[in-house]
Amino acid sequence: MFTSKAVDVDEVVLMSRRLTFFESVGDVSIFGVRALARAFIPPFELAILLQEVEEIGARSLPLIGAAGVALGIVLTLHTRSTLISFGAEAWGPTLQAVSFFNELGPLVTALLVSGRVGAGIGAELANMRANEQIDAIEVLSVDASKMLVSTRIVACIISLPLLTIFMDFASLLGGFISEYCATRISLQLYVNRAFVNLSWASFIAPTLKTCVFGFIIGTVSCYFGFTIDEGSAGVRRAATNSVVLSSLLVILSDVCLVKIIYFFFPGSAL
Amino acid sequence: MSPDQAAVEFKQVSKSFGSSDVLSDVSFQVLQGETLCILGRSGTGKSVTLKLMIGLLKPDEGTVLIGSEDICGMDEKELSRIRREIGFLFQGAALFDSFTVGDNLALPEQRFNPQKSAGEVKKDVEEMLRQVGLEHDIGKLPGELSGGMKKRAGLARALVMNPKLLLIDEPSSGLDRITASEIDDLLLKIKTERHTTMVIVTHDIHGARKIADKVAVLDQGCLVGFGTFDELQSSQNEVVRALTTE
Repeated sequence: MFTSKAVDVDEVVLMSRRLTFFESVGDVSIFGVRALARAFIPPFELAILLQEVEEIGARSLPLIGAAGVALGIVLTLHTRSTLISFGAEAWGPTLQAVSFFNELGPLVTALLVSGRVGAGIGAELANMRANEQIDAIEVLSVDASKMLVSTRIVACIISLPLLTIFMDFASLLGGFISEYCATRISLQLYVNRAFVNLSWASFIAPTLKTCVFGFIIGTVSCYFGFTIDEGSAGVRRAATNSVVLSSLLVILSDVCLVKIIYFFFPGSAL
Repeated sequence: MSPDQAAVEFKQVSKSFGSSDVLSDVSFQVLQGETLCILGRSGTGKSVTLKLMIGLLKPDEGTVLIGSEDICGMDEKELSRIRREIGFLFQGAALFDSFTVGDNLALPEQRFNPQKSAGEVKKDVEEMLRQVGLEHDIGKLPGELSGGMKKRAGLARALVMNPKLLLIDEPSSGLDRITASEIDDLLLKIKTERHTTMVIVTHDIHGARKIADKVAVLDQGCLVGFGTFDELQSSQNEVVRALTTE
């Protein structure tokens, strides 16, 4: 009897945790969709949007570029010996391009941006909440959600595909440097081999899926920053929660998006 | 609007957060052009009273009237219309960190006076900053300002739309005696030159004596005293006497 009761209690606790998680995701989704809809209602916050695109997009370029080059070098170093053992050394650039353009580029970019930008947005907005700056915006009769949230979400949606393209080409540069050091391959031959098996479908669809990643990162980090009101402890919690939940949702949504892409673009399936 | 008409009126307002009652059955009114200072110990609901006046918080019970309009049931759009007539100086000034002082002041003007050119907005901003003695700091970020300068910049932002009602939360907190006195003088100047209705939450009895027409004393969420300084000094309530005597 006692054991059965204990199991029941455990089940209830587990169920309530699941509910809390799904409720949170539901709250975040409603928050994001509403904020996105507000972005299309005049007056448009173009100046702030451009400022955010610069902050989220342009200022992430050094991180994305460095990570892309490094990952390109590492992937080439890892795969070269295996390809040589199969006599498929010439396929190195192709493997590099297909891996990055299809999956690694979009996913790694989104995870890096969720770390850099997600934490930044979460902390910034929570700090603004703690210092009454968000209240001050509302007191000035300005729509704080539109000014602070909609602009950041749209900026993430715009920036992610552009950063992904930058990451893809940075990784190719890294791959070329690695190949050149080993085989003295020419740039033209490397590029020809890299793009020989890459169709537009396997470039455009994976790149555009990062718009969804951008929406997730922008929405999650704005949600925690905008709604947590716990002073300096809240700033830390907002930053941490933003990175954890946005990274998790990016990875989970990637699974669904890959299936959707394969459904609409069967040719892009490897 | 006649001077005898109430600019702000609380009717039996109560507010609690969880199990903590912050305000209980508070009623008072502030007439047009009058300056009310709200005194009380920390945590007695002074700042909550200000936030209720501007609709940042909603009362659990009772009515808050601004002019003759009940703001408690208003949606965001209606509140936005009411707020354009109200200026609010937050305790920490709440200037936007990423905006310069000039941009902080220009924000409401750009939104609600779109017919004004950028040059006209800049002129208004410069004039407002000149009035608070910050004309040389228009391009500075809030992080570059001292506490007193932030308060003055916040006051300039609150005044830039020529509000009929000015709500001020702790104008002298965190400031030295001389700077606090400068802020008090500035508020006195606004009162005499603009005849703006003001509600000021403060701990500074010296400053309150200079500016206030009336004083409200809150203790444990209840209004325990309301009137002029002279009236309150002879109050039977110990807290009222202690807070209104220097």
